[in-house]
Amino acid sequence: MSIYSLTLRSLLNRKTTALLTIFSIAVSVMLLLGVDNIRREAKAGFANTISGADLIVGARSGSVQLLLYSVFRIGNATNNISWHSYQEVAGMKRVKWTIPLSLGDSHRGFRVLGTNTDYFEHFRYGAKRELAFSDGGRFEDVYDAVLGAEVAEKLGYKLGQSVVISHGAGEVSFANHDDKPFKVVGILKKTGTPVDRTVHVSLEGIEAIHLGWDSGAPSGSISAEQARHADLQPKLITAFLVGLDSKLATFTLQRAINNYRGEPLLAILPGVALQELWSMMGVAEVALLAVSAFVVATGLIGMLTVIWSGLNERRREMAILRSVGAKPRHIFVLLMIEAGLMAVCGVLVGVAMLFLTLFAAQPALESYFGLFIGVDPLTVDNLAVLGGIILAGVLIGAAPAYRAYRYSLADGMTIRT
Amino acid sequence: MQNVSEPAIAPERDATVKPAPARALVQLEGLKFRWPGSDDDVLDIPELQVREGERIFLRGASGSGKTTLLSLLGGVIQPREGSIRVMDTELSALGASGRDGFRADNIGFIFQMFNLIPYLSLVDNVTLSCRFSKARRQRVSARGASLTQEAERLLSHLRLDVAKLGRRPVTDLSVGQQQRVAVARALIGSPGLIIADEPTSALDTDARVAFIELLFQEVAASGSTLVFVSHDPALQDLFDRTVSLAEINRAYQPPES
Repeated sequence: MSIYSLTLRSLLNRKTTALLTIFSIAVSVMLLLGVDNIRREAKAGFANTISGADLIVGARSGSVQLLLYSVFRIGNATNNISWHSYQEVAGMKRVKWTIPLSLGDSHRGFRVLGTNTDYFEHFRYGAKRELAFSDGGRFEDVYDAVLGAEVAEKLGYKLGQSVVISHGAGEVSFANHDDKPFKVVGILKKTGTPVDRTVHVSLEGIEAIHLGWDSGAPSGSISAEQARHADLQPKLITAFLVGLDSKLATFTLQRAINNYRGEPLLAILPGVALQELWSMMGVAEVALLAVSAFVVATGLIGMLTVIWSGLNERRREMAILRSVGAKPRHIFVLLMIEAGLMAVCGVLVGVAMLFLTLFAAQPALESYFGLFIGVDPLTVDNLAVLGGIILAGVLIGAAPAYRAYRYSLADGMTIRT
Repeated sequence: MQNVSEPAIAPERDATVKPAPARALVQLEGLKFRWPGSDDDVLDIPELQVREGERIFLRGASGSGKTTLLSLLGGVIQPREGSIRVMDTELSALGASGRDGFRADNIGFIFQMFNLIPYLSLVDNVTLSCRFSKARRQRVSARGASLTQEAERLLSHLRLDVAKLGRRPVTDLSVGQQQRVAVARALIGSPGLIIADEPTSALDTDARVAFIELLFQEVAASGSTLVFVSHDPALQDLFDRTVSLAEINRAYQPPES
């Protein structure tokens, strides 16, 4: 029989308001932790989009822009680079492998990437993971296509199905390469990266469908069969990835490429560019966290309101407690414990709700938005924040507790109703 | 009624009923009190004595300062001047915390109504007064009883059936039942002084006398002294002695009629 059990019974007596208060704190805690979890996952997912490549090379522009169009398939290249330059760089000392990338076409909103089979050999994502096929295999013929997991899933494509590529990168295109359809020969396993949203074809395929196209519109008609026999050696590509046999050579080679005399090239280190890109998004991230923090503050203020507005009708209870010998500081402690208890419960329920929600929402997020949000355990930072919320709750409880303390000094045992 | 000008000794009304014991349980001397910010005393009592084991009827109309007097006796407020001795302890010599502790150990209060804490059970409402007093807990265990047993014993003496009423919320009890629970709470752990502030005013006339008789019986059983405050003179004949607050309080201003 202690003052704690009095608090507990008093709260149970007001369980509807107490539960609602706890719930509002819980929702705000869930939001804060959820935003933090998604932020960390997004950052990790971001850094996982490409690994293994030491340099990304494209026409000279900004490093973030190059990263965006070559890796994230966002935006377009301002310029292409010549096949000749690509060959020269590929032949440089220390270069172990290269993957050419040719972008600019699309299929029903998904980007089409022209490349060669080195892509399946050398491309890595996440923790140096290789691409794997869930069905079929690599492209071999000029008109073969390999689909990313999401493309196949969203459009319901199976092996052997034919795919018409549109000119340009829009969702709706008015210029279709419908005279030269591609056949699906492989479907990749899910990677959680932009690869899932890409249609992969050979460089020769890209070349073939553009035969007879000058300045973005068909000017003559060359059949698919005729095209097979034409010279399909590409003259231009958009960018390429470079793998080196020694990390130490990275900066030397980067300098060599950036000083390449044949044409203006830009070589970037993927990790540095990713970092740069993420820091640009940092403002949004901080804003999101700030909003969540304010929601937590709102939850705590809600608790303050509830305790405060309940004080008046509890003056009788306090007078009775005073009459049986409770000191004003007991009354103070009683209310402080009440606030602390609600804050602790709010935090615990919030954490439980967070994990339940994340587990429940994970499949939906993945299938509808292609977002894979991993469920991380709470970090030390999270725990510190939760501790801070509880502390803030207790401190906020000091305000009504002090008022009750003043009341009980003024009222004494006089029962005011 | 006029202000009493000479220092009045507590008037004796029914001095023949019972020989008064020697020891004074409550002794007020030269007591003066005014509320902060006020220029006028609300209480000015030259002397008041309550002897051990006495059951006194303190008659006071509203505005006669009885609530203030009870707060002083309970040690919730401090007099401006004078001395309050309860059970040989000078209350004004104790600090606020010491007075709270003294009240917890030695005084049981019964109020007009709303005596119970709605979220506590019947028995917990009774044992509530032991939560803040180690001395009361010890006196209960000295009788060889647990707090719950003692609460149940008192409640059954007060004709409350714990087995029947104990499971329901205390707010379901009738006013008369609630007042008897309050008596049990005041009496548990046998405090020396029981102060009842208009405990019968919410009861109907028949129930009043029965309540007071029950109260007397239990106060006597626990060896406590009773100060019973009421404005209702019809009850005063039941008591050992009656004190009119209007007569002993020189600061009393009779209401204009």
